Formats: sequence, structure tokens, C-alpha cells
Amino acid sequence: MTSTTGARIEISGLTKRFGGFVAVDDLTFTVEPGRITGFLGPNGAGKTTTLRMLLDLVHPTSGSTRIDGVRYAEIERPFMVVGAALEATNFHPGRTGRDHLRVLATANGIPTARVDELLELTGIPAAARKRAGEYSLGMRQRLGLAAALLGDPKVLILDEPANGLDPEGIRWLRGFLRHLSDEGKTILVSSHMLQEVQQTADDIVIINNGKLIRSGTLAELSGGRGTVVRSSDLDSLAGALRIADVESAPGPDDTLIAETTDLRLVGDVALRAGLPIWELKAKQADLEELFFSLTEGTNRNLGDATYPDSAAPTERDALAGQEGANL
Amino acid sequence: MTTAIRSEFLKFFTTRLWWGMAIGIFVAGGLFAGFFGWALTSGAAQSSPGAPEGDATQVANTVYTSGMGVGYLLLLTIGVLMIGAEYRHKTITSTFLATPNRLTAMLAKVVALLGIGGLYGLISIVSSVGVGAVVLNLTGRDPFPSGEVFRTMALSLLVLGLWGLIGLGVGILIKNQVAALLVGIGVAWIVEPLAGVLLGFWDFGAEHIVKFLPTQATNAVVNSVTQGPSVARLEWWVAALVLAGYAAVLAGFGIWRTLHEDVS
Repeated sequence: MTSTTGARIEISGLTKRFGGFVAVDDLTFTVEPGRITGFLGPNGAGKTTTLRMLLDLVHPTSGSTRIDGVRYAEIERPFMVVGAALEATNFHPGRTGRDHLRVLATANGIPTARVDELLELTGIPAAARKRAGEYSLGMRQRLGLAAALLGDPKVLILDEPANGLDPEGIRWLRGFLRHLSDEGKTILVSSHMLQEVQQTADDIVIINNGKLIRSGTLAELSGGRGTVVRSSDLDSLAGALRIADVESAPGPDDTLIAETTDLRLVGDVALRAGLPIWELKAKQADLEELFFSLTEGTNRNLGDATYPDSAAPTERDALAGQEGANL
Repeated sequence: MTTAIRSEFLKFFTTRLWWGMAIGIFVAGGLFAGFFGWALTSGAAQSSPGAPEGDATQVANTVYTSGMGVGYLLLLTIGVLMIGAEYRHKTITSTFLATPNRLTAMLAKVVALLGIGGLYGLISIVSSVGVGAVVLNLTGRDPFPSGEVFRTMALSLLVLGLWGLIGLGVGILIKNQVAALLVGIGVAWIVEPLAGVLLGFWDFGAEHIVKFLPTQATNAVVNSVTQGPSVARLEWWVAALVLAGYAAVLAGFGIWRTLHEDVS
């Protein structure tokens, strides 16, 4: 799990207060190399503020962040170690995308040839010669990703990278991130889109109202694995399974959840008991259910009575591509 | 540090702003040099009361640095935009990601502004001297009456850079780019000259305050013509130090602020 060339991200006791508003509250988690970690939370949960503190753009009230053992600001040529893509709006409208990348590359001593290489890789070599004012959101996302990859960094930090990408682009992004993580890179991807993270991430960190809710591998977080089975007589099937030393419990929609991952065993037991079954499948991790159950009704931005004095910043529609409203 | 400086120059030369400004300062330099060259030497203009006066060197100084009147406002604008555009388009995030040592990032801007000031100063001098020397020659004057003329030209490059730094400071302290431009240019172009005139009615003010105002100091550095021998004026090197002081205080305080603020 830990690669020798990889770099770990460590966040410990991280807290940020804006006046009386606690944006991030005693947050602690680590991000491992060679894995994709999904950083999940509803809009306004404090994800962007956390990432900005990790990159030394926002100063924490207390706590610390380390990338490969040091603070971001202590890295001599940071792009060679960490690549980050934050909001999709960070371009001067009068400068071409290519020139924007050249400006950034120059500051880290990276040659222009590498800029063109990345424009090719992210599929925007021609469009990047137009002024950035005309760019679509998807184009901005690709340009942001290209900027993050300039120095071929060990660590990649992406804030809502799938926003504004079409389904084709999202598929491309998913494959691309998997490829990079297989190379041993550390990848931290923030998102409020659950299905996206579910299909991409190995590890999950969920925060809400600035606090850590849960963290762990996708498998751990989805609870115990099992087998979903449908039969005309669930009670008899449960009895037959108990004889075969398999515990089971009724699931939703007239299903039975058997506590085993051995589908063949469940099928054999049903056959021996003479019970017809018309569905037999492995239980899928359903993060969405978990996510909503964890966060439902506790979002401070919806006017929770626990925070009577703190005016949370207004959210803009995440579908419009801007999560940036959250601090 | 050198990579950060190169990045700042590249940033400046990859938008349309720079050549628009270059054309502006080139045209202004030529036009004003022609105008002053004629106005300060022709008999008709000189016989009117209250006309500017000065020796041959001062006349040459004035003609060759006549692009400055527009130039220092342009550099003030460039200084404001150098940081204001970063705030406005949020590129400040990328800038600090690329150069997380903020002092380095901001000092790179300072160096770039001094360089840009020098460059625009050269453009201005090329057009002013080109037009001005011809006009002075035509009116029968010595186009290069003393070596001081060359000192003045060199100093004008520095002066433009210093105004760029003043703009940088204003741009940091007033986050809204448009407001920063309005305040910066309004103060330098309208408020300060008005204050100079009003303070001029008060003896103490006229003698001890007016000469320390930034545009007055600017005129003193390049030792141009005066509105009469009674006008109090700083020595050129004192004036240069005064102007550097304004630049250091404004840019310094601004940079200090950027070291501590959250970029979100």
C-alpha cells in the first residue's frame, strides 16, 4: 500500500476560524501514496478551505499539514512535488491558456516543451492558443489539470475536477487518475458527487460542517459485505443457511442478506433446500446511502439552530461549476 | 528568485496591456517633446506672464522627459494592474502555488516593475529625444547643453519604476482593481496638484510641504523648468530619495500585508 517513492499527506488537528465561524474543526486524516482518496462532503463542508490550508494559501488557526513530511511553502520547486488544481476560474481572460501554463512553468524552471506535451495529453493543444476568456468550464478544468501535472508531481490535489466535464470527459478523467495512482502517486480528489467518488476512489474521507465524519477504505466504509438473495420463501432459506453456518437477515425490498461473499454456497444451500431463487448477487458498497445518512439534516448552511450567530457564506450552485463560494 | 522574476516578466508580456501602453508612451513622448520644444523656445510663448522658465539644461531636460507626465501615470496603472488583475481573476492562487514563498513572489514583482519602468522610460526617451532634439536644433538651441541631460534621462527610468512600485502598493491596499486605479490616478493627477496649489497660498506650506509631494519630487528629480525662481524645489538626489521613500512605504506595507493574508 505504501510505495517508497510516494509521498504521504498528513493533516492533524487542523482548525480554521473565520471570526466566529468555524470552517474546519480539528480535522485529522492521512492520504496514502498509490491510492486515490476521495475527499467528500456537501457544499460548504470545509473541503476547499482544508485544501487551501494544505497548500499554505490559507493560514490555519491551529493544527498542521504536511506533504512528504514538510509544509507546502517549504518546498523549493513545489510543482515537482505537488500539483494542485483548485477552482476552475483562475485564468486571466486576456492571456492564452498556453501562456498561462508557461508563466507557471517558468516560475518552477520547467521548459515550454513540457507545457505543449501536457496540452497534448489533456486534449486541448489548439484551443489553448485562444484567450482564456472564451473557455468553457470543461476546457478550464482540463487546463487546470494540465497546470497541476506540469512538474510530474508525486502528489496530486484536485478540487472538484469533474465539474463541467461531459460524461466522456469524466470517463477520461477517471481512467487518467487510475493510471497516475498506479504509478504510485498520491491523489486527493474533493467532490460532492458521490457516485463519481464511488467509482474512482480507493479511500474515502467524509467531512461535514468542518468535522471529520468517517474515513477509511471504500470497503470498510460501506459496512460488512454480503450476498443479496431473493426467494419465494425467505424464512425457509434463512433456516437452511443457518444450518450451513451462514447468518442472514432480511434486507430491503423482500431480500435476504446473507453474511457471506460465497455466492455458490448460497446457491447450493438453496438448491438442497429445494427453494427457487431468482436473484443472487454480491452486496455492493452503497456510499450514497451512507453519505446521506451521515450528513442529512446537519448542514449548517441550511440554517441549523446550532449555529445561530454564524452567517455561512452563500453557496452557488455546484453544477454551475463553482464550489468556491465556500470560503 | 530568478525563475519567479522571469515568470513575472512573462506574465506582463503575455497580455495585450504592454504594447498598448508602449504605443501610448511612445506617442505621448514624441507629441509632448514637440510641444514643449516649441513652447519653451518660441518668443511668443515666452513673452506671456507666468510662463515656465529655466536655463538651457532645464529646457532640454523638460523636453526629453516630456513623456513622463503620461509615463508615470501609466506605470502607476501597470503597478496597480500587476497585483489587481491577480486578485480580480484569482490568478494570485496560481502565483502563490508556483512560488509559495510570498516574499519571493512579491519581490519578483518589485524587480519586474523596476525593469518595466526602465523599458518604458527608454521608449519614452527614444521618442522624446528624437522629436525634441530636432525641434531644439531648428529653433537654434543646443540640443545637449550639458552632461546633466544624460543624468536626467537615466533618472527618469528610475522614476518610472518607482511609480510602478507606488501603484503596486496601492493595488494591494485597495483590493478592488477599479477602485485602486481611480484612487491612484485621482490622487496623483488631480488631488495632489490641487493640494499643491492650495498649500502654495500658505507660506509655510509652499516652502516646506509642497516640494515633498510625489509629483513635485518627480519634477525635481528630472530638474525640469519651473513656474519661476521663487518655487521651492528639492535637490535632484533628495527628490529621488523622497520618491523612493513613497515607493518603499507603499509597496513595503502592501507586501507585508500579502505575507499574512488568506488567499481564498
